[in-house]
Formats: sequence, structure tokens, C-alpha cells
Amino acid sequence: MMNELFLTAYILVWPVISAAILLVLIVALIRDLRNASKSDSEMI
Amino acid sequence: MPLRSLNQDDRTYMQEQTAFYQLSGTTALLLLAGFYGLTFLMSLMIGKKKENVDSYMVSNNAVGFGLSAASMIATWIWAASFYASATSGYQYGLSGPIHYGFWGALMILFIYPYGRRFRALAPKAHTLAEVMHARHGTSSQLIMAISNLLGSCISLMVNFTAAGALVSVLSPLSFIQGVLIAGLGVLSYTLWSGFRASVMTDFAQLVAMILAAIVIIPLIFFNAGGTGMLVTNWGNLSAEQSDFFSTKAILEQGAPYFVAVLAYAIGNQTIAQRLFAVREDLIKSTFLTATIGYGAVVIGLGMLGMLALFVGLTPANGDMNNIIPQMASTYLPPFGIALFFILVVGSLSSTADSDLSALSSIMMTDIYGKNMARGTPDPKRMLWWGRATMIVATMIGVIFASLRLDILVMLVFVGALWGAIVFPVIVSFYWDKVTNKAFTTSVICAVALFAVARFELLPLQGVIAVLFELSASVGAGVVLGLMAFAFFNRKVAIFVAIATVIIAIPNAVGFLRDYPVLLSSLTSYGISAVVCVAMSWNNKERFDFSLLAERVTSFQKSTDNGKETSTDVDGDVAPARA
Repeated sequence: MMNELFLTAYILVWPVISAAILLVLIVALIRDLRNASKSDSEMI
Repeated sequence: MPLRSLNQDDRTYMQEQTAFYQLSGTTALLLLAGFYGLTFLMSLMIGKKKENVDSYMVSNNAVGFGLSAASMIATWIWAASFYASATSGYQYGLSGPIHYGFWGALMILFIYPYGRRFRALAPKAHTLAEVMHARHGTSSQLIMAISNLLGSCISLMVNFTAAGALVSVLSPLSFIQGVLIAGLGVLSYTLWSGFRASVMTDFAQLVAMILAAIVIIPLIFFNAGGTGMLVTNWGNLSAEQSDFFSTKAILEQGAPYFVAVLAYAIGNQTIAQRLFAVREDLIKSTFLTATIGYGAVVIGLGMLGMLALFVGLTPANGDMNNIIPQMASTYLPPFGIALFFILVVGSLSSTADSDLSALSSIMMTDIYGKNMARGTPDPKRMLWWGRATMIVATMIGVIFASLRLDILVMLVFVGALWGAIVFPVIVSFYWDKVTNKAFTTSVICAVALFAVARFELLPLQGVIAVLFELSASVGAGVVLGLMAFAFFNRKVAIFVAIATVIIAIPNAVGFLRDYPVLLSSLTSYGISAVVCVAMSWNNKERFDFSLLAERVTSFQKSTDNGKETSTDVDGDVAPARA
């Protein structure tokens, strides 16, 4: 039973990590957008 | 179907019809039009009537963390990443996806310390080849530039081919229509603003890709039977496939890929370009995040290959690239198929636009700026070169993809070339004795011996095989030594390298000859390192690294009052030509 759970977690952990990274990137982008508009500068 | 005996084409057609769910032509067209329409509109938001030539190649050298990391991930993931990772999962079982995705991810991590060094020495660089020109001269520069021109053209072709294959498999549209739509779509949003458009659209494309992956992976897992299915079908895995530490998986997939991908990470302009674009203090966090992001997405999609193995799926026509589309067709509702469609289009488009930006930068900087303009590059003409390059490269990619030319063997040579340059490039930025002659000779020797081993031009037996195995052992030491040098000091790196060689020799001799892919790649690293060190050792001249920042500068100094000025190759400001 333990092995099956580990295997299931092994398969499903990757979308979870992907979601966490996506969240980090979106938060960072929003922060950069705010900073750029405050300083009236271009992001790229 | 008329009453006649079925030929092979009929059987193939029928197999494809039953194996794949097909979106309607209208749905496929709407998805493609929506995807490329939105990315084009995004590129219009940042378009300028007069693009700055440096921004066209590396933005403002101060791109933030979110955009940079997203762009790194999106660029490093290409269409083949999913298919290859899934193939690895299907062939090697539990450890398969790790042996593709983990090593690919790890290389992003290992190159960032070197990236920081390159950036610190030449903060205003546009291409790594340009820095090599400043360090060594034309031959070293052209080795890097030409390998990248070839590599990016091949990458374009592969991505357009993937678009054609996807469209033809999952919709009634033809292969050629898919290739053309992808080619025109990518070109449309990249042409005007170059790298800036690439980075901006990469973010949106990555969001779409990750959202698709987040939905698709669990959906397929649970629709295929979830944990219960894993228990029931455990018997479908062989002993090797059910072993997480499978030697076969390491030797046939993990190790060759690990060695190859280090070369790609160092040699590839698409990565170097992002390195020179990100704000300097954000290099570490960007590369670290890209490492985790790339690994999670690619390993996650590789799990679909492993699940295919569990459920006993047979790839249609024996083509491993059909594994993911078949899994999607079997276990996803139509909405999920549409998400999968966007996932693949996003991955291939983000890499293709990066390739177009890389190609244009190399043509602008290394071919026109450093060689044809003879000291006074004209920013306007430079931009013209960049845009013309994108158009020509897209045409080449579309034509080669449409003709389905088998030019992937060239990718082997590009990989060999990049493998051969890893040590000379890195050591050139730390050791002031390395000469242009040592760089060029070491690369040529390494590629020549790579070809001998890879294509078995000489029989890999007896003394010849032993010589190659010894060279490969040195190569293993070089790879691990370079990795150690990325994070520790020179003494630790040399210790790791020597220890690796000592451990490798008794294990490699008499063994590695049976694995020509790994043998040739490691030989390339070993020979280039030995020749480069041997030729540089007694050099009395020392290079002053501070010269790099003086020699590598912006091309466009100002646009005040409409008068553009450019910088010549010696670092002095010169008036631009009309």
C-alpha cells in the first residue's frame, strides 16, 4: 500500500511543483509591472 | 472502404484513425488563430517604430525575474522535450522521465555560475560568440556562430515538423498546413521586436503550457485508473523498468543525455541571450527557478509515457512520438485534447521564436557587426540584417520541415561541436594563457575524434578502443570537474576531475566501446581539454580580462535628435553610416 501511494505521489507531484512555479512567476511579474509603472520605465 | 485487400498505407491510415481523437478542422483553426493572434497582439504592445538595435537582441540588460525565468523555461522546453521524456518513461519505466527531465534541468543550474562570469566580464554582450571574438579572435567566434546558425535552423525545422505532425494527427488539416501556420505565426510576432517580443510572449506561452500540464497529467492518471491501475498492471513492467536505479536506463538514456545537454546549455545562443538580458543580480534566482520549472513540467509529461507502459499502450505505427497524443486521445475529453494541442503549440512556438531571435542576433552581431561592417556597424542596417535573417530562417525551416528532410544527423554534429567547445570556452574566461590557436585546434581535434567514435569510422576494438576509452575517461573527469568548478574552487574541481578519471579508467576500458553515443561524447570533452591545456600551458602571453568589457559594447549609443551612433569593434564611438 505504501509503495502504491509513493508511486501515485511520484506521478502527481510534478504538476503540483509546476503550479507552484507558475504562482511564483506570476507574482514576480505583477511586482515587476508595479515597479515599472512606479518608476515609469519599460520592463523589456 | 472498397472491398480489396488492405495494403500497408491503408492499415497505417486505419490505425491512426482509431488511435487518435480528431478535433474538427474549425476547432483546430480557431485554436491556432487564437494562439497566434493573441501572441501577435501582445507583441504589438511593445512594438516601437524605431527599434533599438541592442534591445532587439538582448532587451535592456535588466529584464526582471518573472519574465526571465519564464522565458528560460519556455525556451529550454521544445516540442521534442515532451515526446522524448515520454519515450524515456515508456522505454525505461520508473526512472525514465527522471533520466530525461532531471539532467536537462540540472544543466541549467550548473551553467549559471559560468553565466555570471561571462556577464561580469562582458556586461554589454549580445552573443557568446561576440565575447569569444573579443577574447580570441575570428576563428573561435565563427566556430560558435556557425554552430549556432546550424543548431537553430535545425531546431526551427524540428519545431515546425512537430507542428505539422500535431495538426495532421489531431485534426483534418494537413501536415504542410500545420507547418505553414506555425512558421507564419511565429514569424509574425517575432519579426518586428525580436528578442523583446520573444521574452514577452514566452511568458504567456509558458502560462498556457503549465496550466495545460497541471490539468492534463492528473486527468490522464485518474482516467487511466489511478492508483488501482498501477497495482493491477505492475506486471507490465520488466525488472529493469520497475527498478528506479536501473543501470540500463542510466547508461542508455541518463548518462549520454547528461553529457550532451551540458554542451547544449553552454553552446546555445538562446540560453546565452537570456543570460545577457536578465538583470545581473537576478541571474542566480532566474536559473534556479528555471531549473525547477523545466524539471517539473518535462518530468511530469514524461510520466505519461510511464503510464502508457503501465496500461500496455502500443505506439501507433511503432512511432514513440505517438505515445503522448495517443494517451491524450484515449484518456482526455475533447476539452483536454484542446489543452494538449495548445501545450504542444506553445512549447514549439516559444522555442522557435527564441531560435529566430538567436539567429538574428548572431547574423547581426557576429556576421555583420564584427565581420562585414569592418568597424562601423550601422544600427539601421543591422536591424535590417536581423529581420531578413528571421524571414530567411523561417523559409528554410518551413521548406525543410515540409519536405521532411532527414537532417537530424546534422544535430549530432552540432552537439559534437558544442561538446567540443565546452571546456575551451569556459577555461578561456578563467585562464589567461589560453590562445585562439589552442581553442580552434582543440575543437577541431575533438570533433574529428568524436566522428570516428560516433560513426565507428575505425573499428572500436583492441588498442583503438582502449585509446578512446581512456579519452572518454578523461572526458568524464572534465565534465564532473567543470561541474565542481561551477560551485567550488579550482583545487576542489581538479581533485574531482582526477578522482573521476582514476575511478573511470578501470570501469571504462573494455566496457564503453559498446556504448558509442556516450563514448564519442565523452571523448569530445576529453580530447578538447587535453589539447587546449597542452597548447596553452607554455604560452608566455597573458590575457587581460578587463579588455573584454572594453571590446564588447553596445552597438547603438544614442538616438538623440534622430542621429544614431554606433560603436566600432574597438570600443570607440563612431558615427553610424546612413
